[in-house]
Amino acid sequence: MGLRNVEYMIQEAFTGIRRNGLMAFASVTTIALSLGVLGTFALLALAANRFVLSRVNQFEIAVFIEGKTLADIEPALKQIRGIPGVVDLKVRDRKKEWEAFKRDRPDFESAGVPLDVLPFAIDVKVSDPSRIAQIAAKIRLINGVDRVNESKELVDRILAVLRVIKVLSIAGVLVLLGTTALIISNAIRLTLYARRLEIKIMQLVGATNQFIRLPLVIEGVVLGAVGAILAWFFLTLGGKYVALMAEKIVFLGRISSGVGRAELACGLVVVGAMIGAAGSFVSIRRFLHD
Amino acid sequence: MIRFENVTVEYPNGVRALNDVNIHIGKGDFVFVVGPTGSGKSTLLKLVYREVAPTRGTVLLDGEDVGALKPAQVPYLRRKLGIVFQDFKLLPQKNVWENLAFAMRVIGKHPREIRRRISEVLDLVGLCHRCDAFPHQMSGGEQQRAAIARALVNYPTVLLADEPTGNLDPDTSWEIMQLLDQINTHGTTVLVATHDNQIVDRMKKRVIQLEAGYVVRDQQRGVYQHTALAEDLRCGA
Repeated sequence: MGLRNVEYMIQEAFTGIRRNGLMAFASVTTIALSLGVLGTFALLALAANRFVLSRVNQFEIAVFIEGKTLADIEPALKQIRGIPGVVDLKVRDRKKEWEAFKRDRPDFESAGVPLDVLPFAIDVKVSDPSRIAQIAAKIRLINGVDRVNESKELVDRILAVLRVIKVLSIAGVLVLLGTTALIISNAIRLTLYARRLEIKIMQLVGATNQFIRLPLVIEGVVLGAVGAILAWFFLTLGGKYVALMAEKIVFLGRISSGVGRAELACGLVVVGAMIGAAGSFVSIRRFLHD
Repeated sequence: MIRFENVTVEYPNGVRALNDVNIHIGKGDFVFVVGPTGSGKSTLLKLVYREVAPTRGTVLLDGEDVGALKPAQVPYLRRKLGIVFQDFKLLPQKNVWENLAFAMRVIGKHPREIRRRISEVLDLVGLCHRCDAFPHQMSGGEQQRAAIARALVNYPTVLLADEPTGNLDPDTSWEIMQLLDQINTHGTTVLVATHDNQIVDRMKKRVIQLEAGYVVRDQQRGVYQHTALAEDLRCGA
């Protein structure tokens, strides 16, 4: 296919949109609404995911190592750092710990118990909260480690919630994606039905199916992308409002899906254009075979 | 040029549109296909442009078995044909010039060639002054001239016209037939399906008469008439 033909097809696609304005408007609105619903669900699912994950990420493994000085525990710290999945570790200030301990148990100080009786407390940060238990088990085996506290039950429970959210959101997005594709395909079919005479004439004068299909697929891509931009506009506005509302609810604090505006726009335009192209392609295929 | 050999067409609903039809149409012939509604005239034309495939038998165009063509080959067959319909089938949102250009663009013709050929064809059908008009701004006769012009732009070897005067008054119908006759004198084979008896009687061309899917008459310089055989067939003999 020559460049002239491609140019002609793009021109035809835009002429088609202009001349079938009302149907194009109906398609764009349907696409915008469908993608809006899909986008809202996906963003809420991402925000919920992020919210729970942020809670889990706050969990660290508390490790207690016996030793008089920092130098005594250095070999153990080195081994902990060497465990895969350990991101960072922080040795708590023993003086502060001692002060706190003394407040709780004043009898210890009066009995003349020295500071170094307290083990060093180390907070270990891990990259993946689901590996907390596994890493804690490895730390327990290190020489000199007195006690390891990884809040296993709580972490497990939150991880279970996270898994449910993940499964539900993936299933929801898939169902909505399928429904969106069907709705958009139907809207495009209606525009094609309105143009069946044009398609018939093209067939009668000897246009190949590819020549008939391409301008309509380009139209589908353009309508899909325009619908996506509209959906993005409403999602961005709606997102701002939801974030403002959430900030007023104390326990939620600042929530965000973590998806930037540009990322959201790109994602929606790609999904919109792809669904538009696929919807047109499938509808025309049926049309050409009828 | 066009040959029908033992052609039978049966539609999926069980209706038999054509029965064992044998016809030969030579290059440059002008042929009327006549008969009442439902006699199989349109089906005969549809076989040539492969809108319909024969259930049995063979349809040959320039020696090529039209019925055996794969769907992807059908557009290339249609580029050799010009087709005209009773309802004109012009694109309502395009003007005359654009309607003609559309038929050339879809088969990949160069814009320069398109400009040249459209002027030529509009001149032939007498529509140069109406090239900017949209179908709704034109009379039935003008619309049919535009449709004929569109059918001619790609230099067809065969022009098929399915009831081209069905929506026109007698004077305009005669003008359209004169135009088709003129096109035929340039060497294009013309096949016209009609039940306009006045036109057929006046033109004195070859007439193929169909009744209930059977060819009941094939006559050079014929007229439109009903035969006794046709009556028998209609009564289910």
